[in-house]
Amino acid sequence: MSTGPISSGQVYDLGYRGYTGELGGRGASIRAIWVASLRRSIGLRRGWRQKVVPWLLLAVVTVPAIVQVGISYVTRDSPNVDFHLITYREYVGVSNALLLFVGVTAPDLLCPDRRQHVLPLLFSRPITGLDYIFAKTGAVAAVVFTFGFLPQCVLFVGNMLVSDGALDYLTGNLDVLWQVPLAVASLALFLSLVGTAIASLTTRRVVAAAVFLGLGLFSSSVASALTTDGPSLAGLLNLFSLPLQLRDLIFLGHLAGDSKLSGVEGAGPAVLAAYLAVVALASGVLFLRYRWVDR
Amino acid sequence: MGTLAADPPPLLRTQGLTKTFGSTTAVRDLTLEVPVGRIGLVGANGAGKSTFFKLVLGLMRPSAGTIEVNGRSVADDPVRIRQHIGYMPEHECLPLDQSAADVVAMLGELSGLRSRDARQRASDMLDLVGLDEARFRPVGTYSTGMKQRVKLAQAIVADPDVVLLDEPTAGLDPTGRDEMLDLIARLGQEGVSVVMSTHLLADVERTCDHVVMLDGGRLVVSREVETLMVMTGSVTVEVDEGADLLVAELARRGHQAKVVDGRIEVAAPDRDVALDAIRDAVADLDLPLNRLASRMASLDDVFLREAAGR
Repeated sequence: MSTGPISSGQVYDLGYRGYTGELGGRGASIRAIWVASLRRSIGLRRGWRQKVVPWLLLAVVTVPAIVQVGISYVTRDSPNVDFHLITYREYVGVSNALLLFVGVTAPDLLCPDRRQHVLPLLFSRPITGLDYIFAKTGAVAAVVFTFGFLPQCVLFVGNMLVSDGALDYLTGNLDVLWQVPLAVASLALFLSLVGTAIASLTTRRVVAAAVFLGLGLFSSSVASALTTDGPSLAGLLNLFSLPLQLRDLIFLGHLAGDSKLSGVEGAGPAVLAAYLAVVALASGVLFLRYRWVDR
Repeated sequence: MGTLAADPPPLLRTQGLTKTFGSTTAVRDLTLEVPVGRIGLVGANGAGKSTFFKLVLGLMRPSAGTIEVNGRSVADDPVRIRQHIGYMPEHECLPLDQSAADVVAMLGELSGLRSRDARQRASDMLDLVGLDEARFRPVGTYSTGMKQRVKLAQAIVADPDVVLLDEPTAGLDPTGRDEMLDLIARLGQEGVSVVMSTHLLADVERTCDHVVMLDGGRLVVSREVETLMVMTGSVTVEVDEGADLLVAELARRGHQAKVVDGRIEVAAPDRDVALDAIRDAVADLDLPLNRLASRMASLDDVFLREAAGR
């Protein structure tokens, strides 16, 4: 069937039409903020400049896995060569790029909402302050988890495929299957909560990013200065090392030998307590900052 | 035995509603019932209009009293109530680096619309408010009038039972104001209940069926606009020339008259007698008569009268 040329058009005024579909509940609203935040954090529907940081980060954190798998492939026929560029444990939080990512992304998700007075618009919807925090922090945590977990998957699958027996490799490394996600999740939770808590205190992204990264640098310097004579509980002051110490507890059952807490009595429980205290403090800050919409 | 159908609940009902901030009382013992329709919430700056909206939305807890929206208590489930209310804040509140299409769709999803429906309705509502091609540009590039339209579109995207519009014509030029009021009137015609806060009584006169007047957080009056716009007991006369002559002639005939804004206001305790006297005076002076009408009270008159009488 052929159609003739379009000679004219008409504009129809459809007017206002009601919505007859079903409305989702609070879960749908939380999901909407979470998805929008996730999209924003990885630069979807944004300019190329906003895409650079997340995708460059993913590339950076995946490189060690690819190199390791490549080496394993090249040396697969040389049984005497057992070269390990990086272990699964070391790969959790291997790159400061994750810190940089949270330092940039968390403020970008929270600060503009305050600066541009978007919060009244959001909270006129069926959500509470807790829902908002949950969705925003969840989005940062989800990206950090993905970017921490995906390279580990590449490493694991790659190692499995280049090993002599894939099934043997799998059964020989079953522990990794729970250790990696647990350690990466604890890192993602920690960084996202600290990042969003700091971002909730200011309307300026650059200030939030500087405070987040500065806090890491400052706490690390203080901890180093206080542990020059040897390991002590002062090592707990290194804020961003806490999730890595927890990682060591997950993988090794004890702190690593090179830890500034190594050999200190009660250091393991102290790490766990300090980790939980920071998580609780950050959650408390977030709750207080958004409690005005909670009843 | 048949049953009587229950009357539908009022759109808004408050009982002894009070909100205090320290020693300041923003809303004081407000008891009112507002019917479905287009409602004007009028008061000077600081009269408690925005606080009233936040109380209706459940974003603030009342210090005392209750609020119901369509028969549902806000205190019982404020989050659920918000699913059925659209809100257009007064101040700038839009994410400037996102397109109007994205903003309205996201806020639609936030109100519970499915993702695809939210996109479709965002598109429809932006069409309705007159933003078509521009909807894909970042909001930061919009004029004030365009931003107001986006704010209105997001308020109606999820088909709420009632839309709260906080000073919707603020910052608009006369043309933009006209267009915004037309849009609001149109929403009312389409069956959406609208509560519009403003300090411009002319906007309410033009758009609303019911007016709620607040002064210092207190209720001044809540009534149908039509019943408030009663005769004032005076007659307005417009002549092309000789207004002063006519005033003098009417005075000579025993009628009080004065020139106000180029028109002659004649006191008319007995309307028919006054109209006869004016007709005769105009004919005797051979003046070109343009208009002769009973003067209606404006809402400004009503506000001043009611506020003074409290």
